[in-house]
Amino acid sequence: MSTLETTLGPSPHVDTPGGERYTDIINLARVKAAHVPFYTQREAVTADGNTAAALASLQMWRAIVYPGFPITPSTKWIETVAAKVGAQKGTPKRVKLLEAEHAVADYIAGACGACRDLVFITATSSVGLDHMTETTRSLGASGFGNAMIIDVYRATANYPLCIEGDPSDAMAHRDDGFIQVCSRGKQQIYDSIVQLPCLGMHPEVMTPTMPGYYGIKDSHRNAKFWVESDAAVHEFQDRWIHECDLPGTINGDTAMGNCVTSRHFQGFKVAQKRRIERALELLPQIGADFERTFGRPGLAYFDETGFDAGKPADVVVVGMGPDYGTFESVRDAWTAKNGTTTAGIAIRLINPFPREAVRKRLAGAKVVLVVNQAHHSGRGHLTLDVADALHGVDNPPRIVSAFCGMGGADVSESTWEVMLDEAKDAITTAPRQPYMVFHEGARL
Amino acid sequence: MSAVLKSGYKDLAQRESCFRPGSTLCPGCMESVAFQNIGRVTDNGVKTIFSIGTSCAEVSTLAFPNVVAWGRGDGAPDDWTKSFAILHNVFESAPTLAEATRDVADALTACGALERKVQIFSASGDGGAFAIGLRSLLHTIHRRARVTIIVLVNEIFANTGFQYSPATMPYADTSTTPAEGTPGNLNPPLDYIHLAIAAGAGMVAQLSPAHGKMFLKAVERSLEVEGTAVIFVPAPCISGWKFEDGQTVELALLGARSGVFPAFTWERGKGGAVKDCELDAAQRPSVVEFLAEQRRFAHLVRKDKDTGAPKIVPGQEENIERLKSWVQGNVERMYGLAGLKS
Repeated sequence: MSTLETTLGPSPHVDTPGGERYTDIINLARVKAAHVPFYTQREAVTADGNTAAALASLQMWRAIVYPGFPITPSTKWIETVAAKVGAQKGTPKRVKLLEAEHAVADYIAGACGACRDLVFITATSSVGLDHMTETTRSLGASGFGNAMIIDVYRATANYPLCIEGDPSDAMAHRDDGFIQVCSRGKQQIYDSIVQLPCLGMHPEVMTPTMPGYYGIKDSHRNAKFWVESDAAVHEFQDRWIHECDLPGTINGDTAMGNCVTSRHFQGFKVAQKRRIERALELLPQIGADFERTFGRPGLAYFDETGFDAGKPADVVVVGMGPDYGTFESVRDAWTAKNGTTTAGIAIRLINPFPREAVRKRLAGAKVVLVVNQAHHSGRGHLTLDVADALHGVDNPPRIVSAFCGMGGADVSESTWEVMLDEAKDAITTAPRQPYMVFHEGARL
Repeated sequence: MSAVLKSGYKDLAQRESCFRPGSTLCPGCMESVAFQNIGRVTDNGVKTIFSIGTSCAEVSTLAFPNVVAWGRGDGAPDDWTKSFAILHNVFESAPTLAEATRDVADALTACGALERKVQIFSASGDGGAFAIGLRSLLHTIHRRARVTIIVLVNEIFANTGFQYSPATMPYADTSTTPAEGTPGNLNPPLDYIHLAIAAGAGMVAQLSPAHGKMFLKAVERSLEVEGTAVIFVPAPCISGWKFEDGQTVELALLGARSGVFPAFTWERGKGGAVKDCELDAAQRPSVVEFLAEQRRFAHLVRKDKDTGAPKIVPGQEENIERLKSWVQGNVERMYGLAGLKS
């Protein structure tokens, strides 16, 4: 008996810049039809951030294989996915447990290449993300917008080891080439994960995404949030995600990840930058469509607090993550006590950094207080981005650069107050140091 | 393993290989010979997908804007089963990429979204598989992924300039174990065949295309066995082993027959066999003959200028005896592995 099989005849195929794509090989409608819904109607759920992320991941019909490897504080994501998939009778979804984070990233590269119309999601944190780095940097350049790595923020380095959340991992990986969006609160976590494949898989973006949220503070603490029906999630995503024009390894005659000469490498890198810059234009459009659809704010460059139309604030805070909420809670009282007006933005899009939007929002402020929570060898990642955004502005505001909350320490009300005091002083006097470290209501 | 080639030599010779002209591999490189043969076996009516780790085999066949030396036909085939896809990521991840591809294909099939079969290969060098990529190799095997893993074993990191690898033969001169005042490499090679069996492979072979029929049969069989099939391909390297052009197949046979890398086939539940390599050292070609053909062992053995006969370098007799002892132990170990059923 020969191993030769009877061929089924010619297949329709189209020529693409990435090779030939055979159009009748993968029937995506059948993947969608095989989806067994987790929610048939909108429901309020009280759960932690990892669960919120897992539910959003599970509801996508395009996600049918979930690779994972545990690391605190992201572990509950893969546990939840495994439990839900195991309990869902008839689901085609499967969980893939690998031997290390590097293997997970490699697996995602292989899976994304195999079928560019499916979404492959995992979650990791801290040194887990570091361990993936060799491949995340390949993924960032790959054009695999169907790759999603959820980063549950945690301090990096194991000497000393800290399992609590600051965004050192996310900030250290901004050059990996992913679209990185920070969420605060369970609703934002859920909503961001629902929206991000629409951005990453857009044919003019084709860039992997990295939604993130603070470890412990958001990953482990419970709150109520809305979960939409699977059908509503599908309808929203299907408006934005269409069959990929480029071939995968299953439906294509193609070569991916080739070695290239330096001249051509530069061309690829330019194209990579163009694609991620296009995300800046599309993100607000997707966010607006999400808000129209579900009645909640969608993806945005940043959240805003206290901007009165036409009247710039004396001090504008730039921060990110759940500790920004403490600023929001002390703001009114501190303003009343000090007679200094304040406003703030909580950065959500950390890569690519929305320079133009930040510049416009900070225009007219006397002082910008930038709150950095990640380890940085200089004045702080956010500080440098804000300084870059303000470059060339007439009469730019003074920048007060603060570090606090490192290793996931809570940024208390008293810490916010002392930072705001420093910012107030800088209205009349240059900041006393290029950057300052604050903790437990004191400048260290 | 089946006793005869299912497809027959004539049939295979007429098939269209997925490995095409255009590579920049050294002329006579065993890797290109292996790919040519695998490429013909896989022209069998099933779509073929390769993953490939960074290696000579990658940078010499996929270097844009040079010709991509892969694919069947001059243009895209109308028949999808003749289409070919290859994905490269990093040095160590080829088995994991192949496993992911298999899983996606299986998941699509389970949904009814993919109605036709695919066959999936992973290709790595021994540096990518045994050094930086041992984790990927063993865990993909351990998870019984239904893929064929090809490891091209040239006993060095050829792509980066002929450095020591965990498969480097004792006493070999490499660029990081230089035989200048020292005897070269002193570490015995990793027992990768035993590791593959222990990790759970469904099939393990050590064969090069120098053993033509056996090699083709192994590749063909690898597509049928349950679990992961692993084929280690001894790959004499002209530049790294420092031998003359045209000796590739000869050296591959001599290395196998002398006991350095015996031809070996094994299947889980059935056991295996050492082929074309006698257990009794007296009935095998001497390893000295193998060494004499390669300048990486010139500090141990050289050919007589007049007769061409191998001559042990004075003072190296003890090292040669140690090397012979290692070779005998290697052959005995392979015979022992052949006796394992699982």
